[in-house]
Amino acid sequence: MLLSTALLVPWVTGVLLVALDGRRRVIAWLGVGSLAATLVLLAVLAAQVFTGGARRVRTGDWPEGVGITLRADALAVAFALLSVLVLLAAAVHEASGGARSRTFPGLVVLLAAGLTGLFVTGDVFSFYVFFELAMTASYALSAYGGKRRQLRAALVFAAVNLLGSFIFLLSVAGVYRVTGTLSMDQVAGRMLDVNPNAALLIATGFFIAFCVKLGLFPFHFWLPTVYAGARPAVAAILSGAVANIGAYGLLRFGAGLFPEQLRHAGIALVVLGAASIVYGGVLAVARGDTAEMLAYSAIGQVGYVLVAVGVGGPVALTTAVLYSVVNALNKALLFLASGLRGTLVAGAFAVGALSVAGVPPAMGFVGKLELFRTGVAAGSAALVVLLVVGSALSLVYLFQVYQRRFWRADPASGGVVSPLPQRLVTAALALLVLAAGLWPEPLIALSGHAVDMLLAVGPG
Amino acid sequence: MILAFAVAAAVLFGSGAYLLLKQDLIRMVAGIILISQSGVVTIIAASLSRGRAAIDVAPGERVSDPLPQALALTALVIGLATVALLLALVHRAIVVFRTAEQDELAATEAEHEAGLERRRQADREEIESDPDGERAP
Amino acid sequence: MVRVIARLLPGPSLMFAAGLIAKGYAEVGDGFAAGVIVALAVALAYVALGAAGAEAALPALRHAPKAAVGGLLLALASGFFPLLLGDPPVTHRPGPGEHVTTIGTLELFTPLLFDLGVFLLVIGVLTVLLHHLARSREEAAR
Repeated sequence: MLLSTALLVPWVTGVLLVALDGRRRVIAWLGVGSLAATLVLLAVLAAQVFTGGARRVRTGDWPEGVGITLRADALAVAFALLSVLVLLAAAVHEASGGARSRTFPGLVVLLAAGLTGLFVTGDVFSFYVFFELAMTASYALSAYGGKRRQLRAALVFAAVNLLGSFIFLLSVAGVYRVTGTLSMDQVAGRMLDVNPNAALLIATGFFIAFCVKLGLFPFHFWLPTVYAGARPAVAAILSGAVANIGAYGLLRFGAGLFPEQLRHAGIALVVLGAASIVYGGVLAVARGDTAEMLAYSAIGQVGYVLVAVGVGGPVALTTAVLYSVVNALNKALLFLASGLRGTLVAGAFAVGALSVAGVPPAMGFVGKLELFRTGVAAGSAALVVLLVVGSALSLVYLFQVYQRRFWRADPASGGVVSPLPQRLVTAALALLVLAAGLWPEPLIALSGHAVDMLLAVGPG
Repeated sequence: MILAFAVAAAVLFGSGAYLLLKQDLIRMVAGIILISQSGVVTIIAASLSRGRAAIDVAPGERVSDPLPQALALTALVIGLATVALLLALVHRAIVVFRTAEQDELAATEAEHEAGLERRRQADREEIESDPDGERAP
Repeated sequence: MVRVIARLLPGPSLMFAAGLIAKGYAEVGDGFAAGVIVALAVALAYVALGAAGAEAALPALRHAPKAAVGGLLLALASGFFPLLLGDPPVTHRPGPGEHVTTIGTLELFTPLLFDLGVFLLVIGVLTVLLHHLARSREEAAR
């Protein structure tokens, strides 16, 4: 009941808001209100899930395998909460600055509907449907602003990600071919008896689709153009909310549906993740533009998630969940702060930068600590060295940007300070990052719980 | 039959990928359309079964699997929506850039790069003229 | 000749679409196919008459955005209304085995609303797209 309502609210309000003129203040704040309502519903749902276990709804009371299952477990609600929170921050940011296009508030709310849907669905094909709903909204969002750079970003983003979506669709067809079902629970059970070559091929298809979404090293080529070309709020949405699809997909499909294939490919994943970390870090240091630097930093940061997924096992997967949350909040904070000016913003940016570098007391420290634990638990010295190098690189490039942005008066802006609500949003995000760093137990418990539920459902 | 479907899907995907790599934006859209069709063909091929439609069948009759048809239809609808959006985007790009060639896009991008380079140059000069790097916040 | 057909075609296409929706539950046809057929007739009008001409000949086309939003809301409502009755979403009324009121071969039950919603949505969205593509072409020509 609650689960369906949490899906219905953003969907209906999103459709209505798209039809209205989003440049009017009222409409923009209505969008914010609808996202806030979704967030509250999801929070209540999350409380229920943590105390009473996963919630399931089967559409139309059809038997298992016929009706589409909606399943809210800890992993799903955690990612849904995180994404809607980032969208809410970006929507407040734009609403207080004055949205520049008719459709912006509606599209953000529709994106929330698509993301919530794909996190809570328990069916491979409806995952694809919600995936496309979310992606279509984000293609339209990436053109937000309407200048040449934004249009170029939107075209590149749409073309590359559509290709990723169709590869995903091919893999869905493959899953139906070899297992005869689309329900995730049944697929996980039947995947064990499938010809290993076919299973590996299908798993690779899913892996490529999610890597394109995350912007991991060999599939990253679209990412810098898009993140640097889009407006700061849109870049925050793309890196803080839409990229969660990739992380969630790796966890749900990798650890939940294809644990065997994940175990075989573990080394390859760790190598790809490491390449991502080094590549992203080195290029970020070399970049002059703030947005471009943050874009390469995003490539590096998702590498950590892939490394954790590649190592495998409950400890590493918990780290992957935790690091996805940390990374999404960091990136949302940094992208939003990078477009603003003022002392409060400088402080917020510093918190985000320290968090990415993994310096206490920011939340990134907890993420890095868990990664170190993973590295030690896996008994790999190379992994620990990699983490240290990655952190050092991120400290270098973030400090460069901080210096350039906030220690020098920009002649173009003439020392104008951004509107107060926008600065308050970044400050609130920064406080959240700090609070989660000082009191990380709930977050760690949440990630652990999510992974326990994920592994309990899967056959592993 | 499966072979025919496999060949059809492969040809569609191959020509789509070829078009996708072209300079012309309209051809790029055509490439995406072909690739989406290859996805639909794969869905149908992945679950081909013979029999009557699964509506109102007598007991004992062979029934074809209705699910892939629903999947193919959904994939078609989604393909239509994304292609419509992509066309609208390309159209906006053509209006804004007055050309459909990606070369031109790249040229505009190069201008932007040059602008960035000028700013970096300004940064360096500033550092040289102001060695202790102290500035008003 | 083409202009005359373009002016007249939307009428019969609506009839044909209605037929497709009505028989869609036992044979080939559904709201999406019906919507695409009407949208094809509308596309012919736009190609033959231009944006301004098509909208002068068929004033209903100006309401396309409303049709799209209304159709999507109708489809969503037909999926989620069971929540109010305490059932899971996408339950349809009357349920399997219950008595269905029919008008000829048309069965009156809630999935029909979904098909109508999709029908309106497809026409609405495609008309809006055609409108934008055709109008800026005319502007460029001027």
